[in-house]
Amino acid sequence: MRGPITLLAIAFAGGLMASAAAPAADYILTGQKPDQLVLIDAKARSVAAKHTIPDAAPGVLTVTPSPDGKVGYAIVNRWESVSGIDLDSGEQVFRADFSGGDKRVKAMFGMDVSPDGSELFVFLSPVSLKAGEYEVGDTYVAVYDTSAGVGAEPVRTFPAPRRTAILAVSNDGSKLYAIGWDVVVLDAQSGEQIGVHPIRNWGRQNFTEPDVLDVWPQWSQADVFSTPYFTIRTDKAEDDPAAYAMGMLTLDLQTDEFVMEEYENFEVIIFSTVVNPVRRNEVYGVYTQLSKIDIEKDELVERIDLPHTYYAVNVSSDGSELYAGGTMNDIAVFDTETLEQIGSIELDGGNMALSSIRVLQR
Amino acid sequence: MRRLKSINPKAEKLSDALRDGGAEEIYTMQTVAGCSSTLDPGWEVDPFGGVAALCQPMEADLYGCSDPCWWPAQVADTLNTYPDWNADANAAQSDWRELQAVYPKPKT
Repeated sequence: MRGPITLLAIAFAGGLMASAAAPAADYILTGQKPDQLVLIDAKARSVAAKHTIPDAAPGVLTVTPSPDGKVGYAIVNRWESVSGIDLDSGEQVFRADFSGGDKRVKAMFGMDVSPDGSELFVFLSPVSLKAGEYEVGDTYVAVYDTSAGVGAEPVRTFPAPRRTAILAVSNDGSKLYAIGWDVVVLDAQSGEQIGVHPIRNWGRQNFTEPDVLDVWPQWSQADVFSTPYFTIRTDKAEDDPAAYAMGMLTLDLQTDEFVMEEYENFEVIIFSTVVNPVRRNEVYGVYTQLSKIDIEKDELVERIDLPHTYYAVNVSSDGSELYAGGTMNDIAVFDTETLEQIGSIELDGGNMALSSIRVLQR
Repeated sequence: MRRLKSINPKAEKLSDALRDGGAEEIYTMQTVAGCSSTLDPGWEVDPFGGVAALCQPMEADLYGCSDPCWWPAQVADTLNTYPDWNADANAAQSDWRELQAVYPKPKT
């Protein structure tokens, strides 16, 4: 069972929601191949704006909105650049190009912005292209001043573990979580490693190392990162279905609480999940099915087949609607109570593919 | 693994490791992303040994595999090697006829 949420955390979260919710409406922010940043009015089920990102092909990978909902940052240009687009004017107000000289530097998914919007954190993987060989460099986090404009250079860098796929900043801005084989906790200012929540190195008896696949930034509505994991119980027979277990990993970005608990036998693949910001025991996962999981009772509540596979899912601020996207070019809308499909948003143009599905308030 | 036959050098290394007791040194997946030795079930066969749990339809998954270089042996790698493979086919389910053919480059 998850630990009780402290009254302080409830009060804090409630205050945030109250202040952010008043006149604002939910918008979905995503990307489409080859170079489109798309802002969608969630309740109206319609595209509010499409902006062309310069030099973005073949597509838009991770998308991160600024906390004030005015700028969308996107990893583009074969993951060798990050572009910040003003969501009202469509103007490129920030650009950092990572590669140069004999260095080819790729951003592999991980990106987040500080709570005050002043700094952007990007996980980078460099390679030196030499005459007779490629030399793989150490992976690192580059930190950018978001006011640096086009041609931004990092204000500081620090090492981060290879295979990091997610970067997430804690609510108070002090910690940077680098999530890969383990959740490595870095000081967001100095880069010093100040903790670790083990995943691969969990060391549980009678369980294999858990397997995690997650590249989707979908924690900002509940301030909880969640991802499914798969593990095999070695104390059960190989032909026992109960030997193959699915669990849910949650990391609370407000409290640092980290939990990994199994909830069902391995029945279907789930690519990504989101926590309901109102009924916080409810987690929803997508792939070719939509699953609803109760992480307090550790049980599957309901599962339906989807029209096609979706990589990504996010949730409305009032916890009532789910938005399944990624892969092709439609976003399916579901009721969180019943999992009934209640809408669809068709996006003309290219596939979303691995572009993030973010929800922001404007 | 008893019913699987290795058909390329990387798979043979895995078979050798299993036979020689070195399998513990091999770790698959765990959020390895991009142009790597990713060995996760998914393109030809799903984790259950069938195909029902693959992405449906396959076009939904095509650019999630090509653009981050997830399956460089099965799908053209647009990250580095074949950057224009899907340049004229932004929606895989309708534009797949515009995909280009790619061929292995001769070893020099």
